[in-house]
Amino acid sequence: MATTTVKTETFVGKRIRRREDPRLITGTATYVEDIQMPGMHYAMILRSPHAAARIRSINTKPAEAAPGVVCVFTGKDTKGVGVVPCGVAMPDLRVPQHTILATDRVYFVGHPVAVVVARDRYLARDAADLIEVDYEVLPAVADPEKALAKGAPAVHPQWPDNIAFTYHQDGGNIDKAFAEADVVVKQRIVSQRLVPMAMETRGVVAEWRGADRQLNLYTSTQIPHLVRTLVAGMLGLEENRMRVIAPEVGGGFGSKLNVYAEEALMGFVSTRIQKPVKWIESRRENFTCTIHGRGHVDYYEVAAKRDGTILGIKLKLIQDVGAYHQLLTPLIPQLSVLMMPGIYNTQNIRADIVGVFTNCVPTDAYRGAGRPEATHGIERMVDVLAAELKMDPAEIRFKNFVTKDKFPYATATGLMYDSGDYAAPLRKALDLVGYVKLRLEQADLRKQRKYMGIGISTYGEICAIGPSPATPAGGWESATVKIDPTGKVTILTGTCPHGQGEETTFAQIAADELGVGLDDILVIRGDTAVVQYGIGTFGSRATAVGGTAVYYALQDLKAKIKKFGAMLLESDDVTLIGGQVVDNKTGKSTTLQEIARASYRALKLPPNTEPGLIATRFWEPPNFTFPFGAHIVVTDIDGETGQIKIRRYVAVDDCGNILNPLIVDGQVHGGVAQGLGQALWEQAVYDDDGQLTTGELMDYALPRAHLMPWIESHHTCTPSPVNPLGVKGVGEAGTIGCSPAVVNSVVDALAPLGVRHIDMPLTPEKIWKVLAAKH
Amino acid sequence: MKISGSYTLPVAPERAYQILQDPAVLAQAMPGCEGLEQIGPNEYRMKMNVILAALSGKFEGKVRIADAVPPTSFRLIVEGSGRIGFLKGDGLLKLSLANTNPSVSTVVSYEGDAHVGGTLAAVGQRLIDGTSKMMLKKFFDKLVSLAH
Amino acid sequence: MFAQKFEYTAPKTLDEALHLLANGAKPLAGGMSLIPMMKLRLAAPEHLVDLRALKDLNYIREAGGQLHIGATASHYDIESSALLRQKCPLLTETAAAIGDVQVRNLGTIGGSVAHADPAADYPAALQALEAKFVLRSEKSERTLSAADLFVDALTTALQPGEILSEVIVPIDDTRTGTSYLKMAQPASGFAIVGVAARVRQNAGKISFVRIGVTGLSNRAYRATAAEKALEGKTGSAADIQSAAALVARGVDANSDLHASADYRKHLAVVHAARALKTALSRIA
Ligand SMILES: Cc1cc2nc3c(=O)[nH]c(=O)nc-3n(C[C@H](O)[C@H](O)[C@H](O)COP(=O)(O)OP(=O)(O)OC[C@H]3O[C@@H](n4cnc5c(N)ncnc54)[C@H](O)[C@@H]3O)c2cc1C
Repeated sequence: MATTTVKTETFVGKRIRRREDPRLITGTATYVEDIQMPGMHYAMILRSPHAAARIRSINTKPAEAAPGVVCVFTGKDTKGVGVVPCGVAMPDLRVPQHTILATDRVYFVGHPVAVVVARDRYLARDAADLIEVDYEVLPAVADPEKALAKGAPAVHPQWPDNIAFTYHQDGGNIDKAFAEADVVVKQRIVSQRLVPMAMETRGVVAEWRGADRQLNLYTSTQIPHLVRTLVAGMLGLEENRMRVIAPEVGGGFGSKLNVYAEEALMGFVSTRIQKPVKWIESRRENFTCTIHGRGHVDYYEVAAKRDGTILGIKLKLIQDVGAYHQLLTPLIPQLSVLMMPGIYNTQNIRADIVGVFTNCVPTDAYRGAGRPEATHGIERMVDVLAAELKMDPAEIRFKNFVTKDKFPYATATGLMYDSGDYAAPLRKALDLVGYVKLRLEQADLRKQRKYMGIGISTYGEICAIGPSPATPAGGWESATVKIDPTGKVTILTGTCPHGQGEETTFAQIAADELGVGLDDILVIRGDTAVVQYGIGTFGSRATAVGGTAVYYALQDLKAKIKKFGAMLLESDDVTLIGGQVVDNKTGKSTTLQEIARASYRALKLPPNTEPGLIATRFWEPPNFTFPFGAHIVVTDIDGETGQIKIRRYVAVDDCGNILNPLIVDGQVHGGVAQGLGQALWEQAVYDDDGQLTTGELMDYALPRAHLMPWIESHHTCTPSPVNPLGVKGVGEAGTIGCSPAVVNSVVDALAPLGVRHIDMPLTPEKIWKVLAAKH
Repeated sequence: MKISGSYTLPVAPERAYQILQDPAVLAQAMPGCEGLEQIGPNEYRMKMNVILAALSGKFEGKVRIADAVPPTSFRLIVEGSGRIGFLKGDGLLKLSLANTNPSVSTVVSYEGDAHVGGTLAAVGQRLIDGTSKMMLKKFFDKLVSLAH
Repeated sequence: MFAQKFEYTAPKTLDEALHLLANGAKPLAGGMSLIPMMKLRLAAPEHLVDLRALKDLNYIREAGGQLHIGATASHYDIESSALLRQKCPLLTETAAAIGDVQVRNLGTIGGSVAHADPAADYPAALQALEAKFVLRSEKSERTLSAADLFVDALTTALQPGEILSEVIVPIDDTRTGTSYLKMAQPASGFAIVGVAARVRQNAGKISFVRIGVTGLSNRAYRATAAEKALEGKTGSAADIQSAAALVARGVDANSDLHASADYRKHLAVVHAARALKTALSRIA
């Protein structure tokens, strides 16, 4: 015991480099593909080339006889395996039987039909070609609006109208709002289907250990615990006999927030062959059988007064479901409805969703999940309204914002916005971009028939998903913090970071709370045998919910540390500071290491205290958090070719308190990149036969580094009252704020031609057609 | 995908009509065709090995002739499938006398739909239009040489 | 995505390579076009002969008043060649516009020409340069012009067993200005349309014009009508405009997801005008 020299370096709020990066960028991280095991077998899945067909017969014999092949399974063999689960319960939801392999019919291109297992993946691939499937090709429908038309082919014969579900929500008095309106503007807005495109495709290694009756499943997932519960159920295995490990996960963007047929299928194969088996999804498969995102056709109507005051919003939302419901499919458009009013002060809404089956791969959560669609809708409509009323788009927004004195604010859709100052980021963004000067320049350019546009989007979003009553699984998150006898700290989080940087931010929180260095802390996630049950990483929740669980576990632990410290110091008045417990009266101190050793040695214990230093918390959030921000995009359009050039991209995001500005900027950059992808380039295009014609990266235009504009990332800070960290979440904000800002900018540029709306992606040809038609 | 176009054959419409339905001629003219075998009235089984520079693929399928109105029009339905995908073309061919001097010739115009599926459709987008035009051109060029 | 089984040979001499090719093997250069097709099983050659180890095919040199480029010179080799930058800047500019860094590091000029993708960049420049192509097989050697080499989509005059061994381009003097301009397809980087312009001025008049166009139709071509229209003119904006208007006339343009035939034709005109203007401005 010594007198104190207190270390006061803190970490929260600093631009600290991500501790996970060295292994990621030096290629030394371990992904599913890197897992090697003695006796490993390889699975190759044969998939339907047709969007709709009856399977007359399957002949697996030639494949079974091929060199190296151990076995071939078809839907007949996997009948005993449970169906792929839909986690959403709602009245009148039509849930087709989603077997892990097709049985008598296939419903989309990419539908798994058979699996070949061989000693070697090349032999498995060769053998897959030898399986003879006799298909009777049926008419398919790939467009949700066409699927709703009379006489359209039925995706599932038992439901000839192709309706998967409907959902209605009313808030306030919409009819009155429309009756009292001076103007009503209407617009059809499409949010096209997108491919989430994680850099690492999906992959599974299943290892059945017969002697232990234990199934180890390595899978590239955002939700290892939920996968364990659900896949164990599908396989009829006791959950405690299954261990799910998400090794390094190379991106998910929502596409790995799911339970997939292949996860159960590999479990099934491994138990059958009593050997480990590996399946790695090819990029082609990733295109056709990992979920897609978006897929909306929205019909908006907005009622307003002549002065720009928005009175009410109606939305008819057609959601392209695809052939099945995956885990959260029907929930995603409901998130859009929740976000429908944006950050504007209107209490009257009406929404009607119709979910439509199509012969396409299912849609589900993709970065933003329902919120980018909603934000795109409302932010476009506000601009359409401004154009109708000849108002400035910034002015109309200021006029309609929920003002900062109104929080907590109850929305017409049933949410309670936690905190906000919506004018602040817009004001800051307008200043940063030099709005007034830009408008003058624009007026000049217009005289020269040059097209320059300024697009504003002021978004709000739902993060920190979410309170348990509002989510299909639990909405809480868990954390264990433990200190070893030598004083080193380990955090076990129920979240499953895969690029979000929580190995760094959680360590920052713990380092500050305990007064230790970052290197003293290890963050472990993604192994159900090591980590207590958890929910996972999605919905910008990991820090706001999971980080809060870490924070509370730390508080419990700190109390215990202080008890041990007080005992060792024989004091009743101590402080924990700088990794030491200090006697407030004498100034004497004892280190965390000394306390840890004493707590495990347990020769003497404080009253009513157990040995050891470990604390676990499951934290249930009382509400969502609601980040917001303003993005302004300045574009120049080539009047001859229709090509769009982004001159400025200013993002002012308010995500509450910022734990690590470097990571927050990274999240904004990545989010904006994906938002630009949707606005300008990306589209999953199915032809009328249900063939995905953008089935490779040679045609699916993912944003590339050299196409990125310079993103000027700034912030305002309105802490959230929902959690003690005051954080809101920022994983999806960039994507949500981006696409309407870009489209608003381009529409603004073309406004002199009378243009009110253009659907994404804004390809040069679309713009050229607009230009050519008006000249 | 819609396809349409026209070619001129240096023979009279009757002769043009005849060669366009002659399995022996078709087998020679269709690029990559390795044989036609009659399986019914106006229906043939077909084997193709399409080679396009580095790209190659074997297809098996059917050729069918329908709605025949000699010597002015008929429908040609071609279906093929292989490991790399499948294709289906359904087109109406119209023949008319071309008033070209000095020798008589026939304009064959076609209009129809082509469907491509499987790997070809998913990864070949950029090239489908151009290569299908090329295949049609090869077909008619060969017909011209066989017509004499 | 796993290719079918194949044999692979990396011969040390060109003769050995030509011998293997004469016996049905297929050449492999940068693999940027061939390997993806093999992985997708759109191509399944039984035997690949890797040309990259052949020193005899990888060079860029000046001889006899012309520039000689070996088939396995990579896009990067060409882009970064000081010799070419000085004596044939059109080719370096074109090479730099291909795909992305990784593709340029591996892809070769021989592979690009032999593959004859209708949207490849080099063919436009090589048409404008009136390049010559040396084709070799075990038993023969011949030299073809661009017009004779490029036949149709993915189709050249190369016969089985024959390789493209060298590309020959002229040395342009300082009175010649060149430019390559493309609109890149955002996914692949290939040209939706690419136009190479090469112009010479003499006493205030344009004395020589060559325009190569790629991406528009099945094969890159020289827009001779436009060339003729500009020759003898002063090169005013109006001259350029009316010449450029001819580049796509009568061409059977392709369409795909990224650009319709009409848009492609329009882009060809716009890019031709811009490329010509830039080329003129570069005349020293
Ligand atoms: C992502 C991506 C983007 C691309 N973007 C562009 C672009 O923007 N512009 C562009 O022009 N190209 C682009 N390409 C194509 C690229 O330039 C290729 O490198 C080129 O088309 C083929 O060259 P290679 O050396 O890779 O040939 P390989 O792929 O090895 O071979 C291609 C074909 O040519 C044959 N071959 C190769 N060398 C010879 C030879 N010397 N003689 C005879 N036959 C030979 C092979 O047998 C094969 O059939 C892109 C490719 C990719 C993958």
